[in-house]
Parts: sequence; C-alpha cells; structure tokens
Amino acid sequence: MKRLLRILLLPCALVLLMGADNQEARFQNLGGKIMCTCSCEQMLLKCNHVGCPNSDRMRKELRAAVQNISSDDEVLNWFRKNWGVTAVVEPSRHGFELLAWILPVAGLGLGLLLVIFVVRSWKLRTAPVAPADAVLDPHLESLRQRAQRETEI
Amino acid sequence: MPLLGSFCLTFALALAAYSFVVGIIAAVRKDAAGFRLAETARRAGMASFVAVLFSAGALVYAAMTNDFSVAYVKEHSNRALPAAYKFAALWSGQEGSILFWCLLLSAYGFVLRLRHKVDQRLTAMASVILAGIQVFFLILVNFETRPFGVLPFAATDGNGLNPLLQYPEMVIHPPLLYLGYVGLAVPFAFGLAALIMRYPGEMWIQITRRWTMVAWLFLSIGIALGGHWAYNVLGWGGYWGWDPVENASLLPWLSTTAFLHSVMMQEKRGMMKVWNAWLVFFGFMLSILGTMLTRSGMVNSVHAFAQSNIGRWFAGDYGWIGTPWRSLPYAYPGFLEVIFAVCLWFYIRNKDHLKSENKLESLVSRESSFLFNNLVLLGACFAVLCGTLFPILSEWVRGYKITVGAPFFNTIMVPIGLFLVFLTAVGPLLAWRSTSFGSVWRAFAIPALISLVVEVILIVIWIRSGIKFWRDISQIYALLAFCLSTLVITTIASEFIRGGRVLKNKLKTNLVFAMYHLTRRNMRRYGGYVVHFGIVVLVVGVAGLAFNQEQEQEMAVGDKLQIGHYTLVGQEYTQDDNANYGSDAALLDVYKDGKFITRLNPERRVYKANGGQPNTIPAKWSTLREDLYVIYAGLNPDTGHPIIKAFVNPLVNWVWLGVLIVALGTGMALVPNTAQIAVRVPQAVAVAAMEKESMQPAGVGK
Repeated sequence: MKRLLRILLLPCALVLLMGADNQEARFQNLGGKIMCTCSCEQMLLKCNHVGCPNSDRMRKELRAAVQNISSDDEVLNWFRKNWGVTAVVEPSRHGFELLAWILPVAGLGLGLLLVIFVVRSWKLRTAPVAPADAVLDPHLESLRQRAQRETEI
Repeated sequence: MPLLGSFCLTFALALAAYSFVVGIIAAVRKDAAGFRLAETARRAGMASFVAVLFSAGALVYAAMTNDFSVAYVKEHSNRALPAAYKFAALWSGQEGSILFWCLLLSAYGFVLRLRHKVDQRLTAMASVILAGIQVFFLILVNFETRPFGVLPFAATDGNGLNPLLQYPEMVIHPPLLYLGYVGLAVPFAFGLAALIMRYPGEMWIQITRRWTMVAWLFLSIGIALGGHWAYNVLGWGGYWGWDPVENASLLPWLSTTAFLHSVMMQEKRGMMKVWNAWLVFFGFMLSILGTMLTRSGMVNSVHAFAQSNIGRWFAGDYGWIGTPWRSLPYAYPGFLEVIFAVCLWFYIRNKDHLKSENKLESLVSRESSFLFNNLVLLGACFAVLCGTLFPILSEWVRGYKITVGAPFFNTIMVPIGLFLVFLTAVGPLLAWRSTSFGSVWRAFAIPALISLVVEVILIVIWIRSGIKFWRDISQIYALLAFCLSTLVITTIASEFIRGGRVLKNKLKTNLVFAMYHLTRRNMRRYGGYVVHFGIVVLVVGVAGLAFNQEQEQEMAVGDKLQIGHYTLVGQEYTQDDNANYGSDAALLDVYKDGKFITRLNPERRVYKANGGQPNTIPAKWSTLREDLYVIYAGLNPDTGHPIIKAFVNPLVNWVWLGVLIVALGTGMALVPNTAQIAVRVPQAVAVAAMEKESMQPAGVGK
C-alpha cells in the first residue's frame, strides 16, 4: 500500500516541481512569440536595438501579463489588441487565423488519403504478364539473382 | 559600356526568341529541313549565352570603373567599396539579379545544347522549352527591370552596397543559390519535353538525374551559406529564422529531395511516373516562386533586398480598369500560371503515356517507404508554403497582413522533420518489391537497441547535469532527435558493414578495403547513405538549439559577464573610422572555467554610404562542442558604457559539418561506378534500342 502511495505521489511531486519556475518559462516562451514593434524585425527577447522605444516597455508588460493572466492565449491576445496583430508572430487559434494551423495538417491528411488511394489502385492492378515467347537469358538471370542476394535490391 | 550592355540584352532576347520559335517549327516538321532548322535554333540558343555574358560583363565593368551614370551602379556601389563587393553588385539589386538569372539560365542552356548528342531529339525539345523560359526573363530584363538605365547626370559617388551584404560569403552565397534555382529549369525542360514527345523509356530520367542532383547540391550549399551568413552577420545568434525568403529557398529543395527519392521507383520499377513528372514541374515552379518572393518584396523579410512590382509578371494580376464610362474588370496570367497551364495541358493530352508498369507487391517494401518519404517531404513543403503565403492570404481576406514566424514553423515542422529522420533510418533497410517482418527486425534490432542505449545514457547525463528536459518541449524533441540520429547512423553503418562483409569474403581482403570497393561499385547508393549521414549530423546540430543560453550586460572596462562555463572580461573599447564605415569595438578576454582561452573583438559598424545604417559584426569562439558568440549591441546613452550580448550555442558547427558531408555524398553519387558488369543484351532490350535508334534524325552517330 505504501509503495502504491509513493507511486501515486511521484507524479504529483513532479507536477509541483514543474510549476516552480513556471512563470519564467512562460515569460521566455511567450517572449519568443512576440515581435518587437520598433520595426527592427526581431523577436521581443532578441531585440538588441539600443535605445529601442518599445522593447523595454513590452517586456515589462509581458512580465506583468504573465503574472496576472493564466492563459497563454489570452496574453497573446492582449498583445494583439494593444500592439497590433503583427506583434504576435504566431497565428491565433481562433477565427480566420485558425486556418493557418489547419491547412498543413489537412494537406498531410489529404496526402495520406492520396497515398492510400495510389496504393490501393496499385494493389488492385494485375501484374504485367511477360510475353509468352520471352526467353530469359540464363546468364543474366544468374547475375540478377546474385545481385539480389548480395545487395537485397 | 551601358549602351553595349543594353544592346547585348536586346540581341540575346532576339536570339532566344529565334531559338524558341524556330525550335517549335523544327519540332513540328520532322523532315531534313526541320533538322537543319533545329540546328540553327540550337546555335542561336548557344549564342544567346554569349550575348548575356557580354551584357553582364558590361554591368560588372561599369561597377568596377565607378560609372555612376548607370542608375543601377549608383544605387548599389560606391567608390570606397572593395572590388569583390563591386563585383557582387551584379546580383545585389533587383535589375542585376534578374540579369544574373538570365546569365545562369543561358549558361545551363549552353551546356545542355553543347551536350546535345546525348539524345538529340529530346535535347532539341528541352532546348526549346529552355529558350521559352529565357525569353520570359529576357523580356523582364529588357522592359521591366532594366539594369542599364542611364541617369541624366553622372553622380560623383554611389549609395553603396547594403551593409548586410558586405560580407565575404555574400560574394558566393547568391550565385550558388541561384545556380540551384536556375538549375531546376533543366530537369523541368527535359521532363516536359519527354511528356510532350511521349518519349519512350526512362531516358529522360537518366539524363536529368545528374542535372537535378547538381541543382540540388547548389541549392543545399546555397541555403547553408545563407544560414552561415545570417549567423555571422545578422547578429541575433541564430542561423535559421523561418524568414519568408529562407522558406522560399527551402520549398524547391524539399520538392527536389522528394523527386530524387521517388525517381528511383521509376528507374527500377517503372512506377510513379505521373508523380515524378509533377514533382519536376512543381520543383521548377517553386524555384520561380522563390525568385518572385525574393525579388518582388511581396513578403516582409530581412533578405528581400528589392521591392518592386515585378510580382505581377510572375503571378499575374487582376483588378478594375477605369474608363470614361464605367470600370471594367481585367485579369491576366503571370509566368507561373502559364507554366502550370502548359504542364497541365500536355499532362491531360499524354497522361496515358505515364501509366505505371508494375504494381505494389507489399506495403513493407522500399516502394512504400518512398511513398511515405514523398508524402512527408511534400507535406513539409506544403506546410512551409502555407506559413509563408498566409500573410498574403490574410491581407486579401482580412485586409491586414498577420505575421507568421518561427514559433508557428517550429510547432509544425519539428515533428515532421523527426518523422523524416525516422523514415531515413527505416527506408534503406527495406528491400524492393517485398520485405518480410523478420528481415526488417533482423536488420533493425541492433540499431534500435544502440539508439535506445544512447537515449538512456543521455537522460542520465542530463539529469546528473541538472537539465530538466521534461519541462521543455524543445529539449524533449532534442532528445528524440539524438535518438533517431543514432538510429540512422547505426543503420547506415550496418548497411556498409553487411555489404562489406560479402565483398570481403569474395575478394579475400580486409573489411575497410571491401567497403571502399562496395562504395565504388555503387556510388549512387552509398553516396546516398553519406548524404543521409550528413543530414543526421545536421539534425544533431539543429537539436543543439534547445540548449542555447544568452546573457546581456552593460560592461565597463574590467567588468565581467558570466555565461555557462565562460567569463568575459572587458579590456578595451575602441572607435575607428575609414572611408567605408565608422565602427565601435570591444576587446574582451574570455576565460573558460577560470582559464584564459582567447580574446574576442565584437564590432558595430555604421556605413556612411547607406544613410548611417548600423551593422553588428559578431565575434566567436567556435568549437565542435559549442560556440561562444558575442555581439557589441551598442552604447548605453545614459552611462556611455557598451552593452555586450553573449550566447552559448551548442553544436552549431555540426550544422556546417553536416552540410559538408551532404556535399561530399552528393559528389560521390555523381561519380560513375567502377565495375560495369558486361552482360549479353537480351532480346527485349535490343528491340528497345532499335526503336530508340529509329527515333534519331538521320546522320546521328555516324
């Protein structure tokens, strides 16, 4: 029973440990999704533009938002609302921008369907029949068999 | 000189147009006169290269001699610019780069036409298609993006080259990338020619394989050099930012990689003919799309060094035209739509010619692994395309351009990439036609066990070093990447050893010599394995990104900055000034675990000719294990002290090493095999050869 209790407690302890420096991890993670709006085209946490009019303020706002808002999506939406949609370099997971996330997955799914269709059509096709009068060169055939044996091609 | 250059361009257009039109007439007429016409078309095509070469030479001459009466030279050069960068001015602006495109295209055409005896009929048709492409680009360079525009008054000095481009690699990166882009026109031309002519057999595949591999190699090296340049010049500590222009170069690379795999199915089994034809077509179309994105400024990018409206020449345009009475709609196709329509037209007409000759015998086979490999590569290509073009789509639909950056691409592409690495491990273990599960298990068991052991060792080492990888998804991905890379390396090694053992017994020699012989007997296969090895070395390098560290600090003389094992100590701060730029630099002593290792000199330049545009020149201490990467970020205006930013980037050199191995492997795959086994020609092959002979025009080979 004690062993079972320990096994159950271990994941709980791990979860608690994971939350210990969660705020800093969230700050770093979200900072990597927000772009500095001073037109330097750099990510907020990468902006090395001395005297940048925006990055210090944005970083402070991000730190405050990470402390006050629990959902990452809401933090990003807050930045979209206050600094413009181009401030966040990741499409939102709502509305029209959701399409950006769906399209690649849908493309892969359609591709997979296509592959299944191709494989099915190949499997259903009858194998080409060699002409009745085709004479196999025994020397060539022995070489082919040897090559297949040695290289598995 | 501008007059000569301009004349040569017009002359080149006339020659290419002649080669195109007369080539078509010759293809329609199948008599002796038609053959003579085809020969004149071929020679006109070759002459067009000479004309474009003169034209490009004229532009370079104007840049070298500081002829600022030429608007392009004034915009992209200045007197103080070093000679190598004056030469590079040829491709640093839009007009020059389109001229450079024309030059490379006509150079490829020249070689193709020179080697016409490989297959005269097919080469003649491919030459016509290539001439058609030449005509488009020559029209563009003659009428829309003219490099020889002359100013009313010659300026005393030019505006200078973009500072970001003033770096030695910029003299070779664009030409290599362009050689890759433009090189894809050759397989496209052969593929389309074979479809138009309903060309029997797989001859076009054999001819284009080397062309495709060469283009792919140039593209690979060009992309890598671009990453190396970004790492050394842009000063943000990374080499790949999923920038639209970077993505544009990745698109044709991915589709061509898919082609280089699936083409083996057509060669060996006569399958996937439709797929291969369209892969060749799409590869070329994506290279045109890449050129358009780079040069039109349609998407925001640090690499888009040109902004213009040439996009409509490539993608067409639509809108409303105002008349005194009412507005009328208009729409016209661009080059991309025309190419697509031509390919589609001939595909519909001749699709029966592309029927597969064999059927899939088993799902556990090399064929099915190629199918999945193609699916994943094209899925990756589609995902990159979606992310790159989504801002344009959002502007059409919502009226504003959203930003799609690295977080989006990393989320989508990393799992796809890892699955590709897995396929790279499994694919070569499967035999053609069918493989039993037992055989797969026998080949796979030891590599899988080794990679599992490596994974466990890594986990133990990381936990002992205090790395809590389970908290960071990028580190979990890195762990998977290391594990899968080990799997690939061990499967490749097992393939070499297995083949080597067979030869060792046969040749009565040692294993190393046997493996060398094995490779020389099948350069393509084993060269391919070396390419795979290079790719996983690169993957290991990329996985290192998950462990990057960075630190920024204001540093006066004597101040210390601590990052990882390194301590940086400010020694001296200097200022310099020359004709081209002014600079601020820091001199920093670097200690590793308390021991002095080197002195670094990061710099920040302000170029005079470009309106004072600043540029960071990072300094590095580079080892195979990690890079210490230091930037002089600027001066704090309040304290007057420099701000130093330092990064520790693990395994970056593995990326460049991986690319070198990829280049080596591709080079190996291009070398012919040593041992050719002479066999008697069976009846069916002899008949095919006679048919081929009968398709050649009279007089060939005599």
